[in-house]
Amino acid sequence: MNTWRIGLVVAATLSAGCTGEIEEGDAQMPGDLDPSASPTPGGTAGPSGTAGPGGTASPGGTAGPGGTASPGGTAGPATPPPPAPPGTPTVPAPTCSAGIPGTSQIPRLSNVQYDRTVRDLLGVTVLSASGNVEPSVLLATDQEGGLSDLGWSAYQSVAEKIAAQVMKDPASKAKFMSCTPAADNSCLHDTIVSFGRRAFRRPLSQEEVAGFDAFVAKGKAITPTGAPEELAEALLFAFLVSPSFLQRSEITEAADGAGHYTLSGPEIASRLSYMLWGSTPDAELDLAADSGQLATPEQVVAQADRMLKDPKARDMIASFHRNYLLMGTNTRWDTANRDTTLFPAFNKGLLPVFMAETEMFFDEIVYAQSGAFQSLLTSPVAFVNASTAPLYGLNAADFGAELKKVELDPAQRPGFLTRLGFLNAYSSYTRTSPILRGAFITKQVIGLEIGAPPPGAEMTELPSGAEYDTNRKAVDAQTAGGVCAGCHHNFINPPGFVMEAYDAAGAWQTKERVSGAPIDTVVDAVIDGQTVHITNPAELMARIAASPSAQKGYASKWVAFAFNRASDPADACTVEQLTYKMNSQTYPVLNLIKDLTLAPSFRVRALISG
Amino acid sequence: MKRRIFLKGVGGVALATPFLSSIAEQQAKAQAAAAPPKRLVIFYTHNGCLTNRWFPKVEDGALTADALAGTTLEGLTPYVSKLLVPRGFRSLNGYAVGQSIDPHDQAMGSKLTCATIDQAKSRYATAVSLDHVIAKQINPNKNDPLVLSVGAASTSIKEILSFSAPTTPFPANVNPLTVYTQLTGVFKSGGGATTPPTTPVGGDPGQPPAPTEADWRVARGQSVIDLVRADLGRYQKLNMSQVDKDRVQDWLDLLRTTEVGVVNNGGGMTVTPAACSSGTAEAAPFNVTEMLVQAASPTGKVTAGAFAGGGSAEGDKNLATSFTLGGDMMLNLIALSLICDTNRMIMMLYPGYVVFNWDGINHNHDHHGISHRTGDFSVGGSCKVAGVLDMILQIDKWYASKYVKLVSLLDSIGEGGGKLLDNTATMWLPELSDGAAHNLNNLPIVIAGSAGGYLKQGAVVNVDSKAPGFGNSEGSCKDGGNIGNTGSQGGNVPINKLYCTLMNAVGCTDESGNKVSKFGAFDGTGTSGGITNPGEVAKLTAAG
Repeated sequence: MNTWRIGLVVAATLSAGCTGEIEEGDAQMPGDLDPSASPTPGGTAGPSGTAGPGGTASPGGTAGPGGTASPGGTAGPATPPPPAPPGTPTVPAPTCSAGIPGTSQIPRLSNVQYDRTVRDLLGVTVLSASGNVEPSVLLATDQEGGLSDLGWSAYQSVAEKIAAQVMKDPASKAKFMSCTPAADNSCLHDTIVSFGRRAFRRPLSQEEVAGFDAFVAKGKAITPTGAPEELAEALLFAFLVSPSFLQRSEITEAADGAGHYTLSGPEIASRLSYMLWGSTPDAELDLAADSGQLATPEQVVAQADRMLKDPKARDMIASFHRNYLLMGTNTRWDTANRDTTLFPAFNKGLLPVFMAETEMFFDEIVYAQSGAFQSLLTSPVAFVNASTAPLYGLNAADFGAELKKVELDPAQRPGFLTRLGFLNAYSSYTRTSPILRGAFITKQVIGLEIGAPPPGAEMTELPSGAEYDTNRKAVDAQTAGGVCAGCHHNFINPPGFVMEAYDAAGAWQTKERVSGAPIDTVVDAVIDGQTVHITNPAELMARIAASPSAQKGYASKWVAFAFNRASDPADACTVEQLTYKMNSQTYPVLNLIKDLTLAPSFRVRALISG
Repeated sequence: MKRRIFLKGVGGVALATPFLSSIAEQQAKAQAAAAPPKRLVIFYTHNGCLTNRWFPKVEDGALTADALAGTTLEGLTPYVSKLLVPRGFRSLNGYAVGQSIDPHDQAMGSKLTCATIDQAKSRYATAVSLDHVIAKQINPNKNDPLVLSVGAASTSIKEILSFSAPTTPFPANVNPLTVYTQLTGVFKSGGGATTPPTTPVGGDPGQPPAPTEADWRVARGQSVIDLVRADLGRYQKLNMSQVDKDRVQDWLDLLRTTEVGVVNNGGGMTVTPAACSSGTAEAAPFNVTEMLVQAASPTGKVTAGAFAGGGSAEGDKNLATSFTLGGDMMLNLIALSLICDTNRMIMMLYPGYVVFNWDGINHNHDHHGISHRTGDFSVGGSCKVAGVLDMILQIDKWYASKYVKLVSLLDSIGEGGGKLLDNTATMWLPELSDGAAHNLNNLPIVIAGSAGGYLKQGAVVNVDSKAPGFGNSEGSCKDGGNIGNTGSQGGNVPINKLYCTLMNAVGCTDESGNKVSKFGAFDGTGTSGGITNPGEVAKLTAAG
């Protein structure tokens, strides 16, 4: 489960007095009093759940300045970052040194990790005897505590199904065993050693091998006829219900002299693969682990570099950004709706297109362009098809059904917050929602922690009347009350008003649809504790891109996602070091990810206290 | 004595062996003398109801068919003598009464914990929930409660009611097949469509007879358990944190469960009840077969929070399947789990943010929005959705029909001279009282069955000093006017006391072995102050 609990309290104390906006007739997320709080994407588990990499529980950086600025990660001279707007604060070089968070030595595979692991181990993606569902559909729902009886029962029944299926499928069987089982059990012994190495993500001890040898030696006492093929199936079943398969174990007890334990090569390999791929190590990683080639930061980052080029890592990066965007099943992204009498260019069939264009944008910037955080907010690249072209002011006739890469006007369309996906997800049924957009930008992107509105605030209705000839004026008046203004007028509304440059379907607008009154996007926003005069979306995006607070928010979400834990004080230094790099040099996101594996504590673990 | 092993999770094969039968016979005799187990089943629904339509017409006194006539609960009339309607309870941590984070998040997190919720974004409860406390005391082998739902599995606080530890959610399982598979592992041979085990061919001439399927499965099961235990034993030798040590021990405990069966009748003997069989499952009223369980288990995307216009056609169809076939199957599986005694603490949680489009109901707004009378998450103002009160009533009646189905299933199972229902407390517990008011006082609660004679039956019992009233759910909405205050003022006895009563009913005790008199972190209107009003409610008991 990936629950964001990042609390980036930049402003020391903010009044909790912020009203939720009253949305009329819109399709909204649950969250009566907090319209910006949609369920976390990680909140949907099960078959359609999007899980993160389900990364390894790995500690953040211990050591000071060297912590993430280790060799190999971002080798080569650092180039300055893109120019920031004048007056933007910069991040001083950190002098912190982080602790090492205590982590579990035996986290169970999440259901998504289970699916990916049996896929990569055995080539099994669906259970053919159970309606071709993914294996995890039959597992108990992911849960953090001890294994439940239902969970244990489900592990066993799914393991039985997988074992039977593998033995019937030559391709899968070849992944399980490279020899033909015979009566002398030597093939089974070899399989115990070789498959066991992959299933347990470490070499088996002699004691363990002897245990499995003794198991298959029982012959027809444990299968119908004792035939070697039957024993092979029983063996696979036994591996798949073994705690050492179902848990990502870290059991090496090599004290590092500083109160912590140094991880073994296979344990580091497991951390790398579950962090970057959400799955089990491949042969090359296993080889590196077994030959002592994961002992130094350079060796670890070399593997990370290789692994990041694999499509499995692209899935992980896409998964991170879905979390960053709060995109997923039953979020605003797939439930948005517009009154099509007002917005005829909108139809619900576009929602998947909006999500696809957004995902392609992030893949393009992070992967194809090896871009930095700043580019996510400023790049004019977009992916457009015939249906979305009119909303971007382009000629539909120039496009087909496929999303095509184009460059849009950088003045009107800088970065992901000006793409149709975000603009539509964060709008109301009949009009834009400066509050939804502003709250997302303020809380999720800039990283301010703003509490829930006070009781009763949500009863404040949007005023109507001739004097409110723009949506901005109405929302401004709606949120002018004593308990509302503190958060809304200072933090939430201003970025939302800048985004009034786009209508509720995402088209550029210069005047109100009904009244014809001019759109006013000029605001004084509070960013990084400074009052900043902003006149248009391009200025806002440039300012957010350069904002230490926004950079820190992005870095801290990466740390939490990759290490699969809520923000931990011991990780704060890692976040600071990454933020410094984002702020002081052109720092590709891929390098940020690699640097996560370079924290010295990536190779060290500590016990959970208590 | 050899122990019966590894009959759980073996893919639905029910086994008949002389070995097992003889054990079963011995143990059935042992069981005959023992009293049937007591259980608690919680049936949970979101977003309140039209309270004025829901409550029986009697506020305090004997519950009669007349008092149910015309109410949402009318379908319970055949069971009127086995019902207890406790009136006047209030859940804790109401919005702006306790914390001021979100009324639904607080209602969910505090409902079964009587504690605050975490201010952090997860908003999980800061204490363990009632179902886990009870399960630990009354379940065979102390196993976790069985928590079920329909739709998409969720870890959002909007749908999490069960917490295995502070801020640790225990999400519901939504796939009937997962539950069914566990049950098939403990089914006895019960006739019906069970295929008799075949004797494998291939035994060498001159050798002893080939082992039966049961023999090798039992042996394989024991051998695998031995491997797993050895694996866990190696973890036990490590210098691990207490949290990790506990997890290893939990797993080891499960192995023991698998070995010794699932029923602990108190004397150390274990037995699967004779009625726990595939034959029972396949017969009326359950009619549960693997094929039908498959059909009730959507395998594709389920659009759980399908708001009007949202979701996908496939997701919405799967949601409908999950709510209708899947939900009914879960009720069957609850009954079978009780028969098989695999769990004595079971919860069925229906999700709250769904658009009803099945069983003749065709709504354009989700239940949550409808409960607000506005069609969306906004509250207050005027009733904007035409016919919204009728929509709420449709949903209330749909859920009532499911509760009736559950009660009727449990009342169809003979047990210890009475019915399984009699040895169970089957409670319909709501998230809110009224959905627009989001109030937690004057909760509409009904309990069927006495938990073995502990609870009063055939009665409405007002536990407050004043009459709680029926609420104002229809308010001025019926005239298209403002929604107004649809809640009520009365009914403010903290629900902790009901929980204490239920814990005592199912046989829980406090640390000293006495009756439970305290549950939760606080019972006042704020969130501090601790438990000021300990004790169960004697009026709710048969003796009281």
